Amino acid sequence: MVSDKFVKKLKTFALKSSAIVAFVLLWEAAPHLGLIDPIFIPPPSVIAVKLYQLLLSGELLVHTAASLERVFLGFIIALAIALPLGFLIGGWFKTFETAVDPLLQVLGQANPFTLFPVFMALLGIGELSKIGIIYWVCQWPVLFNTVSGIKSVDPVYIKVGRSMGLTKFNLFKKVLLPAALPAIFTGIRMSAVFAFFMLIGAEMIGAHSGLGFLIIQSQAVFNMPKMYASIVSVALLGIAINYIMIKFERKAMSWKEDIAA
Amino acid sequence: MAKIRADNVKKTFKIKKEGNEFDELPALAGVNLEIDPGEFMVIVGPSGCGKSTFLDLVGGLTHPDEGTIAIDGKPITGPSRDRAIVFQQNALFPWRTTLGNVEFGLESINPDQDERREIALDYLSLVGLSGYHNHYPHQLSGGMKQRVSIARALALNPSIMLMDEPLAALDAQTREFLQRDILRISKESRKTVLFITHSIDEAVFLGDKVAVMSARPGVIKRVVDIPLTAEERASDDVVAATEFVQSRQLLWRLLKEEVVKVEEAQSNIHAEDHSNSLLLDKKTGLINSVRAFARI
Ligand SMILES: Nc1ncnc2c1ncn2[C@@H]1O[C@H](COP(=O)(O)OP(=O)(O)O)[C@@H](O)[C@H]1O
Ligand SMILES: [Mg+2]
Repeated sequence: MVSDKFVKKLKTFALKSSAIVAFVLLWEAAPHLGLIDPIFIPPPSVIAVKLYQLLLSGELLVHTAASLERVFLGFIIALAIALPLGFLIGGWFKTFETAVDPLLQVLGQANPFTLFPVFMALLGIGELSKIGIIYWVCQWPVLFNTVSGIKSVDPVYIKVGRSMGLTKFNLFKKVLLPAALPAIFTGIRMSAVFAFFMLIGAEMIGAHSGLGFLIIQSQAVFNMPKMYASIVSVALLGIAINYIMIKFERKAMSWKEDIAA
Repeated sequence: MAKIRADNVKKTFKIKKEGNEFDELPALAGVNLEIDPGEFMVIVGPSGCGKSTFLDLVGGLTHPDEGTIAIDGKPITGPSRDRAIVFQQNALFPWRTTLGNVEFGLESINPDQDERREIALDYLSLVGLSGYHNHYPHQLSGGMKQRVSIARALALNPSIMLMDEPLAALDAQTREFLQRDILRISKESRKTVLFITHSIDEAVFLGDKVAVMSARPGVIKRVVDIPLTAEERASDDVVAATEFVQSRQLLWRLLKEEVVKVEEAQSNIHAEDHSNSLLLDKKTGLINSVRAFARI
């Protein structure tokens, strides 16, 4: 019956990819049929060739590395600040939370794009302001999800821990943290996506490297295939990051994965 | 084995209202109860009368406003591994396997990993779950989960077991099997047990004594001796024994008076406050639980 299963999987795969295939085919045919101007929107085959060339020349790699470094730094700083802060606010200081929550909500709601000029004024137009803005957008989903995750831990788990004489630290490590982990991971995954959005935006303003820069630069010199190749790279990288995050999450919470299965 | 003694234990909850004002909700109004070493004491009482509140106090999770609870003469100041608690349901950690759950309490007292594992496996087999050590809680039935909870509590080798309606969520058949196992284990390991239930049959079947609690604010209204021997309880038709039937009737009568009190109190609330839908919701909840009593 293995072959039966395989055929079924194949069919699902075919169905799932049908729209994408149709879209790519239509796109490929459109310039030939005179529906769109290939100067502005080159066909996928041209873009694919360009992407391959960029990959071979090493140019794509350099810019991808520059982008990833920024995302990584901003993301790590955000985790280092927002996770402990979230634990403190959610777990220990009830009054403190009541006091700071409205402020945090307002700050978290502020549209980060409008804050670009502020970051540039404060940190210049170099690496610092880019990493700064990525840190800024990353910290909110992590912070809010950590606080609510810790606060919504089932009190009965805490009762069990306390009744078994756990120290405050062990209660946190062995009960609060694992119980809040699913919510914390949601925050981390959201912030990874935000970080990536923000990065491309940041690189489109005053950068000399990175995928965002590559897009803007190709557009400036009217190299349309290169511009689209960069855009596709950004999309693929986004998908890859999301995939890695999901894998990581599954691994960390294998006890939960079974529920879905 | 340890002796538990509660003297005039009072507890009032403060419920926060707007601003800095509080509503007072008296839950326990002077509970006196003595539990001898190795005794199986069951508490029954109308829903919301303060049974769990009392159990939490014995567990050291909360503190009484007045009065004391002492173990072998020493007043309780906080939780202790010598008093293990089994909660009603879903108190297993879903991120730990069965084995991990049973090992949980041992981790802070026994640094030897292999030893911990061995102890945990022993207790899992004691509750009839050998072979299930790698399962996660969501892969177990309700009855199995409660067996794990009991193993987790036993693993600490406490002299006192506190059980807050541990079987309430189970179907009748599973429940009966577990009752028999709990009785066997508690007698074999000579634990002092405080067991809460809202089933009179369960109380008579398990208890050496059954304490009937009054409607809230709770006090112990009466402690009834159950004159059944271990052999009689082990028999299949213990429910037909004269002692069983008589104890059951006595408890039922005592409880009915309290249940009626709850109903009266509720109809007073009804007369006083038509508009407060929250209270009315509470009332239907209580009356439903009263009806549930009547069906037992
Ligand atoms: N932490 C708490 N804060 C406020 N009220 C509580 C709290 N715990 C219990 N109560 C109230 O105290 C009363 C007794 O509760 P409980 O001991 O849980 O009853 P039982 O276990 O007998 O059903 C109920 O009216 C309940 O709503
Ligand atoms: Mg209760």
